[in-house]
Amino acid sequence: MFKSYIPRPGRREYLTIILLVLQVIFFSFFADNFLSADNLKGIMQNSAELAIVSIGMTMVIILGGIDLSVGAVLGIVAIVVGNLIQSGVNPLLVTIIAVAIGMSLGLINGLIIGVMKIPPIIATLATMNIGRAVVFGMLGGHWLAGLPPVFTPIMTNKIFGIPIVFFIVLLIYTLFYYIFTYRPFGRHLYAIGTNPEAANLVGINSVKVKILSYAISGGIVGIAGIMYVARMGSVEVSIGLELPLQAIAAVIIGGTAITGGRGSLVGTLAGVLFITVMKNGIVIFGVPSLWEKAIIGLLILISVTIDIVINKQITRKRATGTPLGAEELELEIQRGD
Amino acid sequence: MGGFIQKVLMSRTYFLTLLLVMIIIIMSILSPYFLTVQNLLEITQFGAVIALLAIGQSLVIASGNGGIDLSVGSMVSLSGVLMGLAFNAGISIWIASIIAILVGVLLGAFNGFATSVIGLPPFIATLGTMYMYGSLALVLTKGTPISGFPESFGFLGQGTILGIPTQVLLIVIPVFLIISFIVYRTVFGRQIYLVGTNDTAAKFANIKVKRTRFLLFTLSGLLSGIGSVIMSSWLMTARADVGSGLELQAITIAVLGGMHIFGGKGQLGGVMLAVLVVTMLSPGLQIANINAIWQLAILGIILIGAVALNQYSSNRLSLKAIK
Repeated sequence: MFKSYIPRPGRREYLTIILLVLQVIFFSFFADNFLSADNLKGIMQNSAELAIVSIGMTMVIILGGIDLSVGAVLGIVAIVVGNLIQSGVNPLLVTIIAVAIGMSLGLINGLIIGVMKIPPIIATLATMNIGRAVVFGMLGGHWLAGLPPVFTPIMTNKIFGIPIVFFIVLLIYTLFYYIFTYRPFGRHLYAIGTNPEAANLVGINSVKVKILSYAISGGIVGIAGIMYVARMGSVEVSIGLELPLQAIAAVIIGGTAITGGRGSLVGTLAGVLFITVMKNGIVIFGVPSLWEKAIIGLLILISVTIDIVINKQITRKRATGTPLGAEELELEIQRGD
Repeated sequence: MGGFIQKVLMSRTYFLTLLLVMIIIIMSILSPYFLTVQNLLEITQFGAVIALLAIGQSLVIASGNGGIDLSVGSMVSLSGVLMGLAFNAGISIWIASIIAILVGVLLGAFNGFATSVIGLPPFIATLGTMYMYGSLALVLTKGTPISGFPESFGFLGQGTILGIPTQVLLIVIPVFLIISFIVYRTVFGRQIYLVGTNDTAAKFANIKVKRTRFLLFTLSGLLSGIGSVIMSSWLMTARADVGSGLELQAITIAVLGGMHIFGGKGQLGGVMLAVLVVTMLSPGLQIANINAIWQLAILGIILIGAVALNQYSSNRLSLKAIK
């Protein structure tokens, strides 16, 4: 149906990659130990969860939505995983349970957004707060500490000197890149995000796609929950508080349009690395980490502004030759949806 | 009976009044000290700040185009912190209060600029500024609260006049009356609803759509600034985390009060009733020994329920219109 449209990464993604390269050059120039093997390994390990969660975030933002509840879902999954491995449950079974819990929580978001037609920002703001309370209740004021290192090998063990987790992330990215770019489901995401009415008219069941996307996004967060336990070996009540901000920032910096319909996983991966390298650089330069959120918030605003300005220029170019009124109207229509 | 339920669901005033009565009955059973005029008046002090934020939030939502202000809590934190820093620098507390209000106006105007002038979607712009403002408040104080305000400053947030908390009598009620007058009795006020219902039509009616939305975001900042002064006076400290979670309360109250999330519909009277409902609810939850974090969860559930209810009633209305 959409044979002529393959949503391959374009110039906007290259911009992010160039910025990432410049950032790496900058930090390696000013900080001696930035390019050391240990530091790079640390960047890989620390960015794994964010990278995974950002896949789901890319999916829902392409749809024209957003998901603020990812951090709370990560917390709930991590607590369950922690408890299960403490009681010695088979790791494979734990993985399946983690994904299942993540998917069910994502499904709740999907139902609220798809069936009840509540705007994603409102729905996930609510479920985020409900989820955080559940995390608080499940932990009951304690830390979940000293967890057995069942999943730790994916962080510490290496193939060719590179942590296993890197390959897992790469594998999941490849899988979803294929789905986004070449499967009907992926095309449906872009179609709904670009123009929901048109998507409905060509027979796409947008409610189904939305529910499925939020559920898949939740399932992916489930995998990230396992990675968190593998990396930290403990779960505390503030788990995942910064995750929604960082994932949204990574996706937007990576060139996915906040208004939906445009974006790619290549850009998202570059965005994730951009955020992680920046956090790393902040630490190396000794800037108080309190600044981190302010900087990331500002980066979101700048990226979205750049996208909006580029979009306006494209629209203006297309509209040359048409009367002024019509041009303005087109701008309005573009912004309206 | 079915007709009655439907009538209650369709009229926000009936619905909220009924809810309020139910809450008061349940609270009176839980605590014998609840149902006294003195206590009911005292409880209103808990609603002062969120009433101001909810009014600002409601008008931002009413102006449509996905209007929402997630940064209100952070604006309260940052304005309050700057007020505390100004006071520490030797500025009189009353001038520091004016500074806090001006800071609120500036922060709100920045939101308005980003959303209305540049054209960023409000949810992402104010999500960005929510983290920016909140984080700046933390950076400026390094996380330690500022205190040592003079006794006389407490008059605003802790005193009472005729048994009514000062901040309610001297600030919330006048602000509500002034804004209601602007919204319901001036041309600008009516333009808000037209902009929210159909901004293309509003443009053709020669209404400055961008300016209207810009002013409403600025108003939301102004009210947050005033809220931060009340909050500082009430707690007698300025803390960087004082506003966290307030955005959820403000949005929930606005929506529960009948503000339709897609703009153009909803009345400020309903919002004030919703403030009372939520304010009566929180001391009750405290009596029942429920942690603050669960109160946020309950607000989350109320939020989803309220949006669903608004959509139900506006769907019924359009069905009626078709018939």
